[in-house]
Amino acid sequence: MIGSEFPAVLSAAAAGDEHAFGRLWHDLQPRLLRYFVVVSPAVAEDLASETWLGVVRGIIRFQGNEPAFRAWVFTIARHEVLDWRRRAARRATEDLPANGLVDQAAPDDPAADALEGFATRAALAEVATLPADQAEAIVLRVVAGLEVQRVADIMGKRPGTVRVLTHRGLRRLAQQLGTDGQVRRVV
Amino acid sequence: MGADDASSAEMRRPTRPRHGFDPLALDDLSVDRLLTGTLVPASAPPGYARVAELLAATVAAPTPRELAGQASVLAEVRAVARTRSSVALAGPARPPRRRRRAGLAVVVVVGALATGGVAAAAATGHLPEPVRQAARSILASGGDPATPEPPEPAPVTTTGSGGAGLGAAPSTGATASGLGAAASGSVAQPELEGLCRAFLAGKGGEEGRKLAASAFQALATAAGSADKDKVGAFCEDLLPAEAKPKKAKDPEPPDPSAGGNQGQGGPPATTGGPPTSTGGDSGRDRGGSTADPSASNPPANDGTSRARGQ
Repeated sequence: MIGSEFPAVLSAAAAGDEHAFGRLWHDLQPRLLRYFVVVSPAVAEDLASETWLGVVRGIIRFQGNEPAFRAWVFTIARHEVLDWRRRAARRATEDLPANGLVDQAAPDDPAADALEGFATRAALAEVATLPADQAEAIVLRVVAGLEVQRVADIMGKRPGTVRVLTHRGLRRLAQQLGTDGQVRRVV
Repeated sequence: MGADDASSAEMRRPTRPRHGFDPLALDDLSVDRLLTGTLVPASAPPGYARVAELLAATVAAPTPRELAGQASVLAEVRAVARTRSSVALAGPARPPRRRRRAGLAVVVVVGALATGGVAAAAATGHLPEPVRQAARSILASGGDPATPEPPEPAPVTTTGSGGAGLGAAPSTGATASGLGAAASGSVAQPELEGLCRAFLAGKGGEEGRKLAASAFQALATAAGSADKDKVGAFCEDLLPAEAKPKKAKDPEPPDPSAGGNQGQGGPPATTGGPPTSTGGDSGRDRGGSTADPSASNPPANDGTSRARGQ
């Protein structure tokens, strides 16, 4: 969160101030990456880059407070995911086996995990084992830090549906994690 | 802390078993608190301590690896900002209102001089009443909605480029030179040209008094002197240089004048502020959707990005 300085940072960034834009990026890039790691791990970095291109181009027209900005960025992010899935589906019918693509670029990089962010990556991987809707709803609520209504808008669902998805997702996580005190991979 | 809240949540939970005992029952309040990170694992409902830990891990501090790609994004910011500023300056943005009015005033004056032999009247600072009224109404109103057709200067300056600077490529070219030209004076070339024509038309020793007329003050300013000889020399320099060889050969030099009359009008510090922002909006939208402007922008880009101080 940028907080009370957000309006100034936003308008400076919209005017092309790189330092201001860097602050927005610094705040949201980790969240974006984590979102993508859960919903489309094979191309998390690429989709994050594409999302930022959309933000750079569209920020001049954005109006709103910080939560609204965050929701806007994740709206772009989700569009990128949907676009990518569409393209992947098209490619799958042409040449590339889609599954192979996903396997090949699996999010886990053991060496990197050992160095940094192990708990975070393991946790995201755990969330990613949930049914897709549940995982996405939870990540948008927790990692993106969005309220139910905004998540509902982004996912194109009703708020009640989002509540049910997150509730079920949490239950399922609890089942998977058991009580052994370890965050472990289930699949 | 939330110990009280958590315990009340825990107490609520077992009281509403759904079809028998549910070891992982979860009330809505606990869901919200888990999702917003306001429920510490120790206070989580039975079976959810691990979930609380896991969710906390998903929002742990960023790793260096996650923050590695900033440079490329900022490069994009830079590129887009450059495109926008050059498109905004060069594009068919509305001319600043004040400048457009000034242009119309010149049109009126020149028209008055050209018709009916009223040069003498203008020379003494007196215009025929209809002309004065027209000038007054133009200056007082918000500006004529009709785009001023470049009356006198236009045929001269635009024969080469064949337009009034609405084409993306020509006007973009105009920006680069237009920014440079901005330093030389505060009146657009075509206007100066018109003023010079009017000024020189009255070659009867009346020039000095013409300069007293307000319409010619800009000319005196541009010439750097109210002295009639200097203004005369200035105009002699201006007109031939303007009318002769440039546009026949090189389409670029005439463009600043064409653009100056109709389009952005480059110059001065006085109008530099507001027009940039108003022109900017339309220019930005265009910049987002049009490929051409950005493709032909590089000349202007250098100047603006340098001014921005990278």
